Amino acid sequence: MNTQDSKPKTQNSGFRKRASRFSRRGFRVVRDAVMLLLVVSSTAYAHKVSIYAYAEDGMIHAEGYFADGTRSRNSRIEVFDAKTGEKLLEGRTDDEGRFTFKIPKVTPIRLVLLASMGHRNDYTIDEAEVRKAMGLEAPAGGKPEKAERGPGHPPSPAALPAASPGEIEAVVSRVLERKLQPVTTMLLKLQEESGRPGVTEILGGIGYIIGLMGMAMYFKGRSRK
Amino acid sequence: MHISEGVLSAPVLVAGALLASSGVAAGLKKMDYDRIPEVAVLSSAFFVASLIHVPVGPSSVHLVLNGLLGVLLGWMAFPAIVVALVLHAVLFQFGGLTTLGVNTVIMAAPGVTAYYIFNRPVRRGGRMGALAGFGAGATGTALGGILVAAALLSTGEGFVGMARLVLAAHLPVMVIEGIVTGFCVTFLKKVKPEVLEVGK
Repeated sequence: MNTQDSKPKTQNSGFRKRASRFSRRGFRVVRDAVMLLLVVSSTAYAHKVSIYAYAEDGMIHAEGYFADGTRSRNSRIEVFDAKTGEKLLEGRTDDEGRFTFKIPKVTPIRLVLLASMGHRNDYTIDEAEVRKAMGLEAPAGGKPEKAERGPGHPPSPAALPAASPGEIEAVVSRVLERKLQPVTTMLLKLQEESGRPGVTEILGGIGYIIGLMGMAMYFKGRSRK
Repeated sequence: MHISEGVLSAPVLVAGALLASSGVAAGLKKMDYDRIPEVAVLSSAFFVASLIHVPVGPSSVHLVLNGLLGVLLGWMAFPAIVVALVLHAVLFQFGGLTTLGVNTVIMAAPGVTAYYIFNRPVRRGGRMGALAGFGAGATGTALGGILVAAALLSTGEGFVGMARLVLAAHLPVMVIEGIVTGFCVTFLKKVKPEVLEVGK
């Protein structure tokens, strides 16, 4: 009896020792997993990639980012003529997820971002914005100078020697650009944030599932009777 | 693991939709009255898990939980996952409605596979149960990654390079997913063993 009794006890303590070794090993596994995570960047694992682009000073600046806000680095961007569908050029985003190129053609430009593993999105810049960035007037216009010099607006002598309308325009646009820079950044940020899931949507989604559950139970329950 | 719209070709999308709908049909057939709440709760968990990004180091990760759903629900993982994916697509534009079928197969089929491999030991519980849970979670993620690579074959990217990339990206998630699934099944076995009793 005694020997029988002592045997399970030793087994038990052995088991406990083994169990503690197991938990230590478990801790090591967790630690290694975290280390691995630090090394392997898994941005490609996010769900959705977005692209935003704007034209400025003859260049187009594009930015790609994932739903969790990380930049999509080294992703392919293809640039198309949105009118004809012809591919104009392609390139890759840098470490900041940015890609900048000279406007190849005055036309609406469509950018397609192909991040790895089946993530894709596109963005189109319309012709008016491209024209503006190229310093060209809108196709219908092109004669605002003439209008200003029309008979209705005799040039005031005081303003005349200061600068030509072209110069004024250049100065104004430069100042505006500088003033609008923070606004542009803010808009970019806002757009980026709007892609992230909010609490409302998450709770709403759970609500839908509970509703579906109720419906399923209602119909199954009725057919059971 | 959500493949965006406009990436895959039509035959792949149609094949995915067909496979997914037969999976969903099989799942609905197996779903009896008493298990509906369980399916709904796990569907919610799946829905939320993909949305919560945990920042780790320079990037962030999130759970998929398809291994957990698979091992607990078997074929019923299909309806649970499809509902959550519809909500992902509609509310957040994760994935998309045209790629719904493909995405469902990518996430649910590994779950069902995990069910057939790890169902028994997970239900038996104990230390082996926890290990099997780990296996189920890791299998769900790994097979999911391989299926993503397979689906993207049609886009012309080489399978081997693609699979390597996808698996490298999923490796850390695989480990975490395994640990979480292992803890989940152990916890369930302790506090709510009846969840693991049914559907042997």
